[in-house]
Amino acid sequence: MPKPFLSFLLALCGAWLVSALSAHLDPYYLDVLIGVGINIILAVSLNLIAGHTGQFSLGHAGFMAVGAYAATAVSLFLGPHLIGDSPTPGGLAENTLFFAALVAGGAAAAVAGLFVGIPSLRLRGDYLALVTLGFGEIIRVLLQNFEPLGGALGLNGIPPYTTPFWVIAAAALTVFVVGCLVNSTYGLGFRAVRDDEIAAAATGLNPSRYKVVAFTVGAFFAGIAGALFGHFKLTITPGGFDFTRSIEIVVIVILGGLGNTLGVILAAVLLTLLPEFLRPVAEYRLVLYAALLIAIMLLRPQGLFNFSLRRPAAPRV
Amino acid sequence: MSAPLLQLTQATVRFGGLTAVDALDLTLKEGELVGLIGPNGAGKTTAFNLITGLYPPATGSVAFAGRPLAGLAPHCIVAAGIARTFQNIRLFGSLSVLDHVRAAGNLHRTASPLHALLRLRTFRESEAAVTACADELLALFNLSCFRNAPARSLPYGEQRRLEIVRALATRPRLLLLDEPAAGLNPQEKIELVALIQRVHREFNLTILLVEHSMRVVMGVCQRVAVLDHGKKIAEGSPEAIRQNPAVIEAYLGPDHATGLFHH
Repeated sequence: MPKPFLSFLLALCGAWLVSALSAHLDPYYLDVLIGVGINIILAVSLNLIAGHTGQFSLGHAGFMAVGAYAATAVSLFLGPHLIGDSPTPGGLAENTLFFAALVAGGAAAAVAGLFVGIPSLRLRGDYLALVTLGFGEIIRVLLQNFEPLGGALGLNGIPPYTTPFWVIAAAALTVFVVGCLVNSTYGLGFRAVRDDEIAAAATGLNPSRYKVVAFTVGAFFAGIAGALFGHFKLTITPGGFDFTRSIEIVVIVILGGLGNTLGVILAAVLLTLLPEFLRPVAEYRLVLYAALLIAIMLLRPQGLFNFSLRRPAAPRV
Repeated sequence: MSAPLLQLTQATVRFGGLTAVDALDLTLKEGELVGLIGPNGAGKTTAFNLITGLYPPATGSVAFAGRPLAGLAPHCIVAAGIARTFQNIRLFGSLSVLDHVRAAGNLHRTASPLHALLRLRTFRESEAAVTACADELLALFNLSCFRNAPARSLPYGEQRRLEIVRALATRPRLLLLDEPAAGLNPQEKIELVALIQRVHREFNLTILLVEHSMRVVMGVCQRVAVLDHGKKIAEGSPEAIRQNPAVIEAYLGPDHATGLFHH
């Protein structure tokens, strides 16, 4: 059996193990674990867009919002009609519903990704960053003014479906799919398009297709992350998916090293845990966090976990 | 006489008021090795960009194997069978030597991206075939020792060779070489001439060569077309072109038109 598939199955076993033991584990650690997993999904999916394909996107929180709201719409509004008002907690009906909600969230975000991918065919670098930034803000403002989805107050009372199992499984699936794509012959095209679009076209690769695929697949997983996030926090507001959330994900990807999947995963773990470790310094936490970021950027501009000797080309921001 | 493989008919490219390629007629038959020369700014590279679909013709047409190329995107033109190299080497900075050739193998892989996710036997066989094909090409052009090195780390001459190998990996019928000898030393130029002749012979290709180095052009081309200010001013055998007064004038100015050796 090929190795990536084996690793994926191992991760699923790990997820099952954690969920079996979850009753005995400190809920605080489980919460941190869920936060780490969601950030891994976000960072690895953004890495496909910004790292491998070189399309600098500041709209990842927008995709996350689309996924969160679409999934919540399924579980909160459709759920009671589908599985009744009082299903067994953690039972098959609930988990099936949550699976459907995750898929719906991912699919809705993928459609949004498709629409954002199309301007990326004409724009690059900082112009594209601005367009994706604008996209994220449009999503947020639309949700803020759309009363059926709660408006500025957002949605409350979301069922607590997100478990460590779902998060680990989704993170493993994200890493598996992105990893398999970029490591295949097909996936060489993502990096070829990033390095030199004209040469990629002269090699028979369709740059437009690759960019749209990257945006669609990346957005799909961001949507799943948003869905997991919503069913973990149990309340979502448009403000929770603003520009700073996108920046957080971008920071993880840049620190991990653009296009370096393993580095990005480690950076996601590190940057999610860092605020937790900094709790003792209380009010100086954010200052210290920012100082650490600057220090890391200065000391390891090629990405925290990039151990290749050559410095990669600077990202075209 | 066989039908032409590539036919440019009155093809014109304009940039605003500047006519870079002016009503160019050029015909390549299957299996020919033709040179395209001219002073700097004569429109040689623009003609290449026209053929490969980077610029649309303002007027006139380009046809490949009897099929018009108008409106085809560059990657579709590659799929149709025209591959090229670039005057300024355009390799992929983050890919290894092998991956350059594998990327070009995308046109001929049998597995879809979905196969990559399902990891079925189809996928593994397709990947193995693409890699084997790439390794074979690298071995043929003495690049196997650089197989896993980043392409940017290669010596200049090897980078040029890799670009040719990448173009060949798309399995073209027509190969466009844009100044392959630029920046090479005399020894490397001799090797390049041998390489071009070998590619032409062993891959059954038709080749259009843009070049400044007369040694290379005169050494390999069966026929030479000369561009000046976007217009074709002469066409014929290398010998005839060397004697052509219009060509000498275009290169050296009107004072020299009476002959090169009087000064």
